[in-house]
Amino acid sequence: MKRLTEAQIQSFLQSLESRYDVWVPVRLHDGTRSLGRRGDGPLALAGGALPQKPTCMFFPQMDVILSLKGKKIEAPAPLEKPLLVVGFTAEDLDCLAFIDRFYGENFRDTVYFSKRENAITVGVTGRCGKEGRTLKVSTGNCDLELVCDGHRYLLVAHSAAGKALANRLADSREARPVETQDFASVLNAIKVESGTAGGDDQALLERASKLLLEDKVPDVFWENLADRCIACTSCNLVCPTCTCFDVFDRKDDDQDQRWRMWDSCQLDGFMREASGHNPMGKEAVRTRRRIFHKLGADPRRWGQITCMLCGRCDDACPTGIGIKAVSREIVAKYGSS
Amino acid sequence: MFFLVVGDDGRLVGVEPSSEHVVAQGRLCVKGWNAHHFVNHPDRLTRPLVRRNGTLEPASWDEALDLVVSRLQATQAAHGPDSVAFFSSAKTTNEENYLMMKLARAAFKTNNVDHCARLCHSSTVLGLAATFGSGAMTNSISCMEQADCILVIGSNTTEQHPLIGTRILQSKTKRGAKLIVADNRKIRLARLADLHVRHKNGTDVAFLNGLMHVIISEGLEDKEFVQTRTENYDQLKKVVAEYPPEKVAQICGITPDEIVQTARMFAGADKAMIVYSMGITQHTHGVDNVKSCANLAMLTGSIGRPGTGVNPLRGQNNVQGACDMGALPNVFTGYQNVADPAIRAKFEKAWGVQNLPDKVGLTVTTAIDAAADGHLKALYIMGENPMMSDPDQNHVRKALEHLDFLVVQDIFLTPTTEFADVVLPAVSYAEKDGTFTSTERRVQRVRKAIEPVGESRADWEILCEVARRSGYGRMQYGSVSEVLDEIAGVTPIYGGMSFDRIDQVGLQWPCPDKQHPGTPILHTSKFTRGLGAFSPVEYRPSVELPDDEYPFVLSTGRCYFHFHTGTMTRRSQLLNREERFPYVEISPKDARSLKIPDRSWVYVSTRRGEVKAMARVTEVAHDGVLFMPFHFEEGPANRLTINALDPVAKIPEYKVCAAKIRSAR
Repeated sequence: MKRLTEAQIQSFLQSLESRYDVWVPVRLHDGTRSLGRRGDGPLALAGGALPQKPTCMFFPQMDVILSLKGKKIEAPAPLEKPLLVVGFTAEDLDCLAFIDRFYGENFRDTVYFSKRENAITVGVTGRCGKEGRTLKVSTGNCDLELVCDGHRYLLVAHSAAGKALANRLADSREARPVETQDFASVLNAIKVESGTAGGDDQALLERASKLLLEDKVPDVFWENLADRCIACTSCNLVCPTCTCFDVFDRKDDDQDQRWRMWDSCQLDGFMREASGHNPMGKEAVRTRRRIFHKLGADPRRWGQITCMLCGRCDDACPTGIGIKAVSREIVAKYGSS
Repeated sequence: MFFLVVGDDGRLVGVEPSSEHVVAQGRLCVKGWNAHHFVNHPDRLTRPLVRRNGTLEPASWDEALDLVVSRLQATQAAHGPDSVAFFSSAKTTNEENYLMMKLARAAFKTNNVDHCARLCHSSTVLGLAATFGSGAMTNSISCMEQADCILVIGSNTTEQHPLIGTRILQSKTKRGAKLIVADNRKIRLARLADLHVRHKNGTDVAFLNGLMHVIISEGLEDKEFVQTRTENYDQLKKVVAEYPPEKVAQICGITPDEIVQTARMFAGADKAMIVYSMGITQHTHGVDNVKSCANLAMLTGSIGRPGTGVNPLRGQNNVQGACDMGALPNVFTGYQNVADPAIRAKFEKAWGVQNLPDKVGLTVTTAIDAAADGHLKALYIMGENPMMSDPDQNHVRKALEHLDFLVVQDIFLTPTTEFADVVLPAVSYAEKDGTFTSTERRVQRVRKAIEPVGESRADWEILCEVARRSGYGRMQYGSVSEVLDEIAGVTPIYGGMSFDRIDQVGLQWPCPDKQHPGTPILHTSKFTRGLGAFSPVEYRPSVELPDDEYPFVLSTGRCYFHFHTGTMTRRSQLLNREERFPYVEISPKDARSLKIPDRSWVYVSTRRGEVKAMARVTEVAHDGVLFMPFHFEEGPANRLTINALDPVAKIPEYKVCAAKIRSAR
């Protein structure tokens, strides 16, 4: 383990640019934090979850999935260099682990894995959250983790690829035993501060999930909720475990391209059939689906709740009905019966 | 308010909301999330086109621009300066609107310059200028979160201004603010409203006068405000005395009790706000409607404080700015009157010209009339599509066919370019720098994200080139920021604006100097004109009311997923998927009696024409009223609308005409 300043991290990442396409949290001109390459803005590791889901590096809003040149179908060209993406929170990494399963099991999504495979994922955790909050440390489901101790970042390597990269650090001096002990105690302190088990919100989701699976939430709840949804689609589009996409074709001068783009189950057209019939043709049904999918359907199908509490939909929803807020309402209204 | 995501091949592949912007706060509506999609659409115009033997064919920029200049100059030589008109665009930047009006006035010596604000908020600009002295939203968007009572009249806010709509919605659901929706349609906000008044389309003046009648007769007016901040109160009192609830209820098709309750709820709030949009403005009495809103606000002292105000919601990205920039036939930038010799002298000096025209020019609507009757000979249209947006399409067609010469500068071919002699390929917002002014008077940056598609050029570059070729040498700039600096120099309300100062979140005008922090709320201690002027108005019915032959009221507008004439959003995958067909809303009762099933094809006709559309049977529609959005080329609602104009603002009556509907089976 090594303890690095932001400047050291920056030069470390720069040294990797010959081998990797390096993306880091940067600060854009109005202060918004976003993923970018060096030069897109100053490094902005601290601040918690990026508003933009970092999984978009592997499943972007729009992506070419195949091209047709003459009669020849071509897959997208492979990446010139594998991706190295810095900026996942522990929750983001859990989301990534889930969509790895989703796109990998049963049917393997080659477009997704063309970016995901060989990519290096770097978590940013610890005492660098928004407004002084401590971020949960990861469960080790990334290649490297930068754990902020409040001043500097402990570089923790989890995978073999991560360890190999960590060893490339200019200052490769191994920590002395006393330092290692210090690291361990800092990590433990951070774990305690951040409530690694998920805390109250996790319990809230689990209670809401149980109520949904027991069919304790009546239609009228969803109807009232639907009145407050304007179908902006933000909840889906910012969610790292939303995997749905629509497909469209574009014809350019020399080729046709088939693209996919993020879709939203909050749109009427999402499931509307060519005849016009729509199994999800009512707002209340769509609103229910958004929540039920994560808290009811996915636990049945995948054995896990697929909201990892990243907080993005609650931040992005302009009417205050992100999944945490809705779960809170469900538990408050139907939890006692 | 959002960032564009650019792929390694230089094409746009997504958007990202700004999490730090004071208005956006990390949020976007569905159109925002899809704002990138049309930019790299293969239909983009990439080369200038010139009509040869009846067909538009690719041409060089030199050929196209020389043709534009020579034909405009020849037209003026033969028929006088006012035989040519210029349509500017609420979709282009402030700098481009400024340059379009400078081109018209300084280079071509005509005040025939206008833009599509004529069709949406010209009533606001005139109505609020007459009452308050400033024709813009009085308060800031954040004020929605401070109001105790919000009256939403003629605005489907969650669909047309979604992020503003959600602030209103949250004020109701989270803070318990009172919400009054006065709208014929059962819009989303109406589902949550404390009061939903479904008065007849076009009866707003009677309704608002009725509210003021109750307020005065029950002594609920803000006596101190009326006494110290306003004038002409006695006249108002006299006029609204003739609008007792019983009489108004008859006119509006509602109950007297609804009027009394609304009046008490609005006047009873400490901080009451009026929010309106095109349900108020798009009438032959649009200016009267706006004045009535202003009267109500002044009567209750609901102005000049946080959480209050008269808040017209401007629709397009830069319709506020296009007005501010003087792309209007009667004013230069910052609403400085062309009839004022001192103002003209100022601009003559700044622009290095003499004899700027003093006669008020043609509006978008009267220019089309003038083209139809042969008085207007040539038209230069930048980023507008009158074939789809103006009333009575057949009339517009006749007008455009009549022109000797038509130039259209746009990013796609449109129904309007079918009549063009020259088409100039412009760039989208993603390919240029400049500034836009939002509905809350916030001047903010737009930044170039990608290179222009094909040979297309930014509108400002094209306009400057036209000026240069026409022999006017004072429209040459190294960058757009120089244009804004020039605007600041001649425009008191923009005096403190510069790229540096507005870099992050912008500034709200008036901002008269470089130290001024901008103005979130207007009329705080006095109105722009001094005292607020009560402008009482009498109710006048709409021009064409239902009769035996055309028994329905047809009202037109927009849907959530499309933007205006559809040129951009219908080329955006998800948005077009959501609304693929022209449609007409009809109430369940009317649909039953006419045996029109949901999603079946129908013909809607008026005295102007007929359109095929899909029936949408919905509780949103009031009995006796049809609603159609105007986005669809294949079913253009504006083939049906009436070319009847407000006498002052010249805005068309899009919200009321007489129609009939029959099944297409």
